[in-house]
Amino acid sequence: MKKSNIKHYKISCQVNGNKFTGYIDPNLRLIDFLRDVLNLKGTKEGCGEGECGACMVLVNGVSVNSCLVMAFSVDGKSIITIEGVDDIKYGKSLKEGFKRKAAVQCGFCTPGFIISASELLEKNPDATEEDIKKALSGNICRCTGYKKIIEAVEWARKNDK
Amino acid sequence: MINEAVKYYSLNELWKNIKKLSPKRRYIAGGSDIVISHHYDDLNTDLLVDISDIKELNIVKETSDSVFIGAAVKISEFKKNNIIKRYIPALYECVDYYASPSVRNIATLGGNLVNSSPCADGVLALVASGARVVRNLYGKQKLSDIFDVIIGPKKTSLKKDELIEGFIVPKWEHRAVFLKMMPRKIFGISKAGLCVCANLKGNLFKDIRISASSVGPAVIDCKKTSRFLTDKDITNDIINKAKDIISCEISPIDDHRSTADYRREITAVFLQRAIEKFVV
Ligand SMILES: Cc1cc2nc3c(=O)[nH]c(=O)nc-3n(C[C@H](O)[C@H](O)[C@H](O)COP(=O)(O)OP(=O)(O)OC[C@H]3O[C@@H](n4cnc5c(N)ncnc54)[C@H](O)[C@@H]3O)c2cc1C
Ligand code: FES
Ligand code: FES
Repeated sequence: MKKSNIKHYKISCQVNGNKFTGYIDPNLRLIDFLRDVLNLKGTKEGCGEGECGACMVLVNGVSVNSCLVMAFSVDGKSIITIEGVDDIKYGKSLKEGFKRKAAVQCGFCTPGFIISASELLEKNPDATEEDIKKALSGNICRCTGYKKIIEAVEWARKNDK
Repeated sequence: MINEAVKYYSLNELWKNIKKLSPKRRYIAGGSDIVISHHYDDLNTDLLVDISDIKELNIVKETSDSVFIGAAVKISEFKKNNIIKRYIPALYECVDYYASPSVRNIATLGGNLVNSSPCADGVLALVASGARVVRNLYGKQKLSDIFDVIIGPKKTSLKKDELIEGFIVPKWEHRAVFLKMMPRKIFGISKAGLCVCANLKGNLFKDIRISASSVGPAVIDCKKTSRFLTDKDITNDIINKAKDIISCEISPIDDHRSTADYRREITAVFLQRAIEKFVV
């Protein structure tokens, strides 16, 4: 059998508040690391090319498409996935808003929308409908339609405790 | 297949170590171009050198007559940085047209130049702003014209290991208009784009620089049109002549996103809209 030449990369990062230190395959994208190494399956892969937003996570508080980022590059950083949004500002109320406004059908896009919306509301608690549309412009939903999603974000903005 | 990745945090550390690495090494900054190629196994490299957190590549600083922007500064930063807002309005204006909010949090200006796509929005803004490129090879800096770096579609003149350290943009009194036509269904790649940076005194353009994207093998510095408009009183006749000049200065092609004729037409219309925005 051919011996692999791969030299694993040592990373230390925080994922949803938990410390991870270990050696990872340098070929992994952030989405592969989250789903396949940490078993956090809430982050979805749609297009794999930065177009749909299903794979969105927060890295040091800003949204990134985890299909466009190599896992080794998050060494030293803090990551929040959909599994960890309860612990960030607006996380719980966004989840509640999506339920109340029926902004979910198949749900594949929902984690990405919630991550993008949480970043927006954290930065701009007075976000208008226009601001919400702009902030969600990198997220695609193919079944619910955007009206209910916008209503869900507005609900969270008004009702966050 | 990547066998190894390394990450450096300073230029000193980079130049000290880089020559010891695999000969097939390649830089990665944000990764928004390179990670997709890697995913489709279309990246001829076995080692990635992560430069995204090198401190010298992440600064924006001003001197009395220019602004330096590090190559690893993210596109989203242009909207937040007051120096950029004040002195390089074209970069500030391009942000809203650039991909999506999350891609802007990943993509860098250096990567945008090295990718050297004819549709590169960051390059479009830099050309109209009069920017020059700071290159660095093993600690030796060199200042170059943008078009000495870009030598064709997806082609640069960079030597092995040569790094874009950043950009120097002269301070000059001007405003900027950035216009981009995108296909309806996907964001990002333009059918045509235009950036005009100019200083209007009364009804005269004192200084004006125009650049166009997606209408040639690389972003185009529309020098003839800029020269024509300099020191001219803006009348309908002058605008029409400038539209004819820019139509000849660009060299669009037909492709799956648009046709050459449409691109020529929209570039001329963009020029008219941009001039009108200045004059109003
Ligand atoms: C969904 C999507 C939408 C996009 N939309 C747009 C858009 O609207 N407008 C636009 O202009 N572009 C767009 N792009 C393209 C891309 O985001 C940009 O070209 C980006 O600026 C590249 O920067 P990066 O840091 O991510 O590059 P990387 O992928 O890290 O690198 C790109 C290339 O540059 C080299 N490189 C990077 N930095 C340096 C350096 N400092 N010195 C030497 N070499 C270097 C790398 O080796 C690689 O060859 C889009 C991409 C995606 C995936
Ligand atoms: S899977 Fe990452 S943007 Fe679509
Ligand atoms: S709910 Fe199915 S894609 Fe949005």
